[in-house]
Amino acid sequence: MTDDPASHLIYADRLVKTYPDGAVHALNGITVGVKPAQHVAITGPSGCGKSTLLNMLGMLDRPDGGEVYFRGEALSKHANLDHFRARQIGFVFQSFFLIPTLTARENVQVPMFEGPRLAARERAKKAEGLLELVSMGKRANHLPQQLSVGERQRVALARALANDPVMLLADEPTGNLDSDNAVKVLDLFASLQKSRNLALLVVTHSDEVAERADRVIRMKDGRVLSDSART
Amino acid sequence: MYFVSFILKNLTRRPIRTALTVLGLAVAVGSMIALLAVSHNVEKSVEAAFDQRRVDLVVMQAGKSSGLNSDFSEFLVEEARKIPEVDKVSAGVVDVTDMTRDSGASDPVLIQGWRLDNFGFEDIQIQPGGRMLEKGERNKIMLGKTLASNLNKKVGDSLVFGGNKENPYEVIAIFKSFVVFEDGGAIVAFEDGQALTGKRVTGFSVRVKKTSPDSAAEIEIVRQKIDALRDPKDVTVRLSAQTPDTYVTSVSQLKLIRAVAWLVSAIALAIGVISMLNTMAMSVLERTQEIGILRAVGWPPQRVISMILGEAVLLASAAAIGGTIIAFLGMHLLTLSPKVNGFIEPELALVVILRGVGITVLIGVLGGAYPAFRAARLLPTEALRHD
Repeated sequence: MTDDPASHLIYADRLVKTYPDGAVHALNGITVGVKPAQHVAITGPSGCGKSTLLNMLGMLDRPDGGEVYFRGEALSKHANLDHFRARQIGFVFQSFFLIPTLTARENVQVPMFEGPRLAARERAKKAEGLLELVSMGKRANHLPQQLSVGERQRVALARALANDPVMLLADEPTGNLDSDNAVKVLDLFASLQKSRNLALLVVTHSDEVAERADRVIRMKDGRVLSDSART
Repeated sequence: MYFVSFILKNLTRRPIRTALTVLGLAVAVGSMIALLAVSHNVEKSVEAAFDQRRVDLVVMQAGKSSGLNSDFSEFLVEEARKIPEVDKVSAGVVDVTDMTRDSGASDPVLIQGWRLDNFGFEDIQIQPGGRMLEKGERNKIMLGKTLASNLNKKVGDSLVFGGNKENPYEVIAIFKSFVVFEDGGAIVAFEDGQALTGKRVTGFSVRVKKTSPDSAAEIEIVRQKIDALRDPKDVTVRLSAQTPDTYVTSVSQLKLIRAVAWLVSAIALAIGVISMLNTMAMSVLERTQEIGILRAVGWPPQRVISMILGEAVLLASAAAIGGTIIAFLGMHLLTLSPKVNGFIEPELALVVILRGVGITVLIGVLGGAYPAFRAARLLPTEALRHD
C-alpha cells in the first residue's frame, strides 16, 4: 500500500514488532490504513499479529519499526499518547475488563476523568445517556457480576464511547458471547458506527463478524495476506 | 462519580484486609502518639511550672545530668542571693526515695525538701483539712493529690521512708499542683529533705530584678555571675545556671523520654511503611488488569499514581484517627496504674495529634510510593495480559 497517510484517519506504515526474544516478528513490515467512518475487520489465525496490530493502532504499545499516523500526523512525535487515546479512541475487549467494584454507570465514567472537563453530575448524566444508547439504562446501578455477559459487553461499549472517540478498536468483541448475544452486540456496533460516523476496527476469528465489515484484512505471519473491500 | 469515590471503592472491596491494615497501623500510630504526648506533657508541665512561678534561671551542679544527682553546699545559694541583680532565690532538695507502704512494700516517690519561701508554695492548693508547713517543723509531710490517692493516705495518717518505722512522717496536707509530678510526689521541710535524700542542696530557682525592657540581657548577666560562683571549701563544685527553656531541653530524664518517644515513633514509622507497602503491593498485583484498562482508556501514569497514593493516604488517615483514639484511651488506662499516674497526664495536645497525623500520612505516602510507581510503569498491553 502506497497511500498518503494524510488521506486516512489512521495509517500504519511498515510496522515491525518483535517479541522480546527477538526470534518472532509479530508484525513484519505491515502497512494498513483506515479511512474515517470505515468498518474494517482483521482476521487470521492465532498468532498472526492481528491483536498486535490493533494495539499499535490504538497506541497501547509502540512499534519497534515503522510509524503510525493519525490524520497524517506521526504519533511517535506525539508527546502525550495517553491524552490521544483518551480523546480519540474507544477500546472494546473480549474480556470486557469492567471494574468489579463500580456500577455500570460508574464504569462508563472511568475514561471521562481524562476526557473533556465535566462536572461529576455531568459525567453521570452522560454515562446514563450512553447506557440508554446501548439499552442498559435500567441496569445502570448494577455491578458487573450482576449483569449477563452480553450486558457486560454493552456496558464496555458504552464505556468505549465515553469521550466521543472517532475510532473504535474491538478485539474479539463477541469471543465470550453466545450467538444470540453476539448478534445483538454486533447489531449495536453497526448501528453506533453509522450513527456516530465512527471508524470501526474489529479483530476477529469469526467469519460472521468479518462479513459485516466494509473491508476485510486477512493476516498471516505478521503480514497482510489479503485486503478486500466488500461490495 | 468523583475520583475520591473511586479510590474509596477500591479500599472497601477488600474490607477485612483494609480493616486489618488500618488496625495494625492504628496500634503502631497510637503508641507513637501516646509516647509523644507523654514526652510533650512532661516538658510542658516543667515549662509551665517555671513560667507560673516566674523563674528566670534554674541552677544545679554543673556537669550533672539532672537535678536528681546534683549536690552542692548552701553557701553557694547564699552567695547567689547576694548578687545585686537577684530578686529572690528558692532552694530545695529533690530525689526519688523509697516510701514504705503499710503492707511493707515500697514505692519510689519524688520527694522535695522546700524552705517556706519556696516559690512553689505560692501556687499549690491545699485541700480542706490540711495546712501549710510551719517554721521549724520536722517529720511533717504534704502529699500530692495523686500520691495520697495511690497510698490511700489522708491528713493525720503517718508514713515511713526506707522502712524506718522509728522515724515516721505525719501527713499534714493533701495538695493539688498544676505540675503533674508534684501531684505524684511529696513535700517535706528542707532539712527533712536533706535527711531523706542525703544531699545538701540539689538546685535552686532565681527571679531576677528586671529594670529595663531588655530582661534577657539582665538574666544573662546574673547567669554568668552564678556560673562564676565557687565554694572555697569545695572548689571543684561549679554551678550551671540555665534559662527554663534551655533547662528543659538539657535535663537527661526529659531527653530520655523524648528520645524513647522518637525511637518508638521511628519503629512505628518503619512498621507502618512495611505494612502499607505490603498491603498496597498486594492490591496493585491483584488489580494489574484493571490498571491495564485504566491505562488503555487514557489514564496517564500520574493519575494511576494519584489513585494508589490516594488509597494509601486514606488508609493512613483512617489509621491516624484510630491511633489517636487508641492513644487517648491508652493514656487514660495508664493513669489508672499507681506506678505511673504521678508522672503522666492523660492529655493529648493538638500539636501532638497533628505531629502523629503528619507522621501517619508520611507512612501512607512512603508505603504507597513504590506500588504506585510500579503500577504507573505497567504497559497497558502487559497489564491486560496479566492473569
